[in-house]
Amino acid sequence: MYGKSLLVGAALLPGLAVAGHAKEDWPEPVKEYYTGQVLFDRLELTRTNEEENLAVWDMIAWYGGDYHRAVFKSEGENVQDDGEPTDLERAELLYGYLVSPYWSFQAGIGTRGSLSSDASMENYAVLSFMGLAPYWFEMENSLMMNEEGDVQFVSETEYEWQLTQTSYLQPRIELTANLTDSDKYERQSGLSNLRVGLRYRHEISREFAPYIGVYWNGALGNTADGMKRMGENTTETGVVLGTRVWF
Amino acid sequence: MSNEFNKGRRKFIKSAFTVASALAIAKVAPTWAAPQGRSFKDQILTSDEIDLTIAKSPLLVGNKVGTPITINGQMPGPLIRLKEGQRAKLNVTNRLSEDTSIHWHGIILPENMDGVPGVSFEGIKPGRTFKYRYDVEQNGTYWYHSHSGLQEQLGHLGPLVIEPKDGDIGADREHTIILSDWTFEDPDTVFRNLKVAEGYYNYQKRTIFETFEDVRQQGLEKTWKQREMWGQMRMSPRDIADVTGSTYTYLMNGRDSQMNWSALFKPGEKVRLRIINGSAMSYFDVRIPGLEMTVVAADGQPVKPVSVDEFRIGVAETYDVIVQPKQNKPYTIYAESFDRSGYVRGTLTPELGLEAEVPELRQVPERGMAAMGMGAMAMSGDMKGNSMNMKHMGGNNSHMTHKMTHKKELPVENIKIKHRESGHGAGAAMIATNPVSRLHEPGIGLEDVDHKVLVYTDLVGAHEWPDTREPERQIELHLTGNMERYMWSFDGQKFTEVDGPVQFHHGERLRLVMVNDTMMDHPIHLHGMWMELENGQYPRPRKHTISLKPSEKVSLLITADAPGSWAFHCHLLYHMKAGMFRVVNVA
Repeated sequence: MYGKSLLVGAALLPGLAVAGHAKEDWPEPVKEYYTGQVLFDRLELTRTNEEENLAVWDMIAWYGGDYHRAVFKSEGENVQDDGEPTDLERAELLYGYLVSPYWSFQAGIGTRGSLSSDASMENYAVLSFMGLAPYWFEMENSLMMNEEGDVQFVSETEYEWQLTQTSYLQPRIELTANLTDSDKYERQSGLSNLRVGLRYRHEISREFAPYIGVYWNGALGNTADGMKRMGENTTETGVVLGTRVWF
Repeated sequence: MSNEFNKGRRKFIKSAFTVASALAIAKVAPTWAAPQGRSFKDQILTSDEIDLTIAKSPLLVGNKVGTPITINGQMPGPLIRLKEGQRAKLNVTNRLSEDTSIHWHGIILPENMDGVPGVSFEGIKPGRTFKYRYDVEQNGTYWYHSHSGLQEQLGHLGPLVIEPKDGDIGADREHTIILSDWTFEDPDTVFRNLKVAEGYYNYQKRTIFETFEDVRQQGLEKTWKQREMWGQMRMSPRDIADVTGSTYTYLMNGRDSQMNWSALFKPGEKVRLRIINGSAMSYFDVRIPGLEMTVVAADGQPVKPVSVDEFRIGVAETYDVIVQPKQNKPYTIYAESFDRSGYVRGTLTPELGLEAEVPELRQVPERGMAAMGMGAMAMSGDMKGNSMNMKHMGGNNSHMTHKMTHKKELPVENIKIKHRESGHGAGAAMIATNPVSRLHEPGIGLEDVDHKVLVYTDLVGAHEWPDTREPERQIELHLTGNMERYMWSFDGQKFTEVDGPVQFHHGERLRLVMVNDTMMDHPIHLHGMWMELENGQYPRPRKHTISLKPSEKVSLLITADAPGSWAFHCHLLYHMKAGMFRVVNVA
């Protein structure tokens, strides 16, 4: 933390245990404030160009003060009527610290994989740099390393164009890169995936805002080459209908 | 003692003051905001005990029932009238389920009577009565309010008027007007919304269509330049009030615009209006279209008369104005929230039931480059040292220079401001690299009005104050904040982060220099001692609450003559709650 040290001039008498309230059994005139929030940034139904229906969520929850926070993030999807279990893209528990006015540094552990009884999950450690870049770009940059030592980088950026006082046009871009090859999880090094989305959101209240949107998802580099060899489509488009909600 | 104030000029009959009349006064109190107002030499309460009971009770606020904290059954609380020279005896009984308190705002009194839980006493526990006792050694318009949690937002406040020794109010009649902001939301919810969702109550943000319109009108380059710096700073020029008319109902003496609080006058009479801003978060711009107002007191203290058409009243400030309506017609008393998200009006009228035209809300103002210290500012944290940003910002001021007319050189202009190496840390999103004196500016949204608006440099003390010494020592404090997480502090440190009190030496004469390193206006209040504003005038005006504009630097002289611990804080309630609070210790 910056400077618990001496302040301006000789104004402050250093070394006192309390900020100045006169008696120990009196209440503090101003207390430290703790609160939390659960935010589902995306809670949506997706229809892809391959006529699949997906249910998707992307949420963050936190509790703490201004500087120190416990953070939980979770993201995943379930393809409707395909008999497959839900795919958990990430579930992370982190400790976050506010390092500068607009940025917090987070460190923690995560797990991901198919949510079926017999599948083994991929566990990993994660470092994340989350905050607001100049010009109001909302960013989250995460570096993950699993038990095998495979390293992956995911960067998400969102922007909001204010259309009216309660409606927004929001582009979103998500880039995934593998820093290492992974045989076990079939990942090729290099840029692997790019997802670009655009949604129109209307606030019924600040807490509850339905939206509609479109997205384009494409595999990149070695990942795309691999998919082509397998005869798979390397791109996907879709429309989404969802809600941003917090409480 | 009748329920109605005599419109004539009654003789002051001291023998009438019995215990019974004191009780009668307490019962009369709910009608303090009666249209008749008070006339010169009406009876006033002296040396009797006043009982105040704090309770939560349902009350009609506007057209809806809310549950405010009431004082003797009303919100705002009763008008307490004391007389200079008397001993105040105020018994406050707590009928809430939580601790409460009353702070006598602007009153010079002993430390243990100041009513700040944790600083002056332990607070008033549920079911208990605290007996406030102090000698009243001043006169003027003041107010009182809870200093516990967010109770003030629930209406735990009221006016306090101290009659001068000679009883002369300098007018034929007077009315007391206390402005407040009421929300049907739980104040704790309001605070959490501010904490977790930046801009929650701001419904006046710039839209993309306004940007297109600007591009169409003034071209892409100029529009980009205007937007650029705000974008780099991640701040909004429309971020004026944290909590707005989107949740607030603005009240005048507890009544909304529809209820239309009315005050009577006879044409030709001199009417003194004692105007108090008892809001939790709202600055108001006050005017009475068609009437000139002569400001005769600021924060209860007399100033040389200055005539204005409008004045801005910061949270917790008071102004006394004298008006002399000559025509036999109603006038609107119009108090407009300074972000233009709402207003409250009342009527000054020769007979009840009349109303005058109510002005439209003016256009939502935007903060200009002056908010950043003439455009020359640096950012702390991650943006620090980015020379390109600095250059762009430097380029901006040339064509955005503010009006800088008729400005006297003030002491503060020769004081070099020091920022801490760390840039005040993560709790401060901004540093005003080049703070300036802005006392001569009327404030955001009032720069271009075509009538006279009061500015701080207009205020001249009515007479010299007892201590004419030059300051021996200087203390510098920076007002800091981080809108994103709703952190507010002094020198980047919230109250919970500081090690000890701000130390004043008993008897010394001090110069307090404050620098506003934020994009918001802050009304800063010192308990227990006056602050003489160094505004280039002599005698200097005395203030208990001084409002600082963004990137402004201000200097004040203080005589540290009140031993003990005193609160010093931003009077925006949620800023104080967020940590913009210090204890000053005089020893």
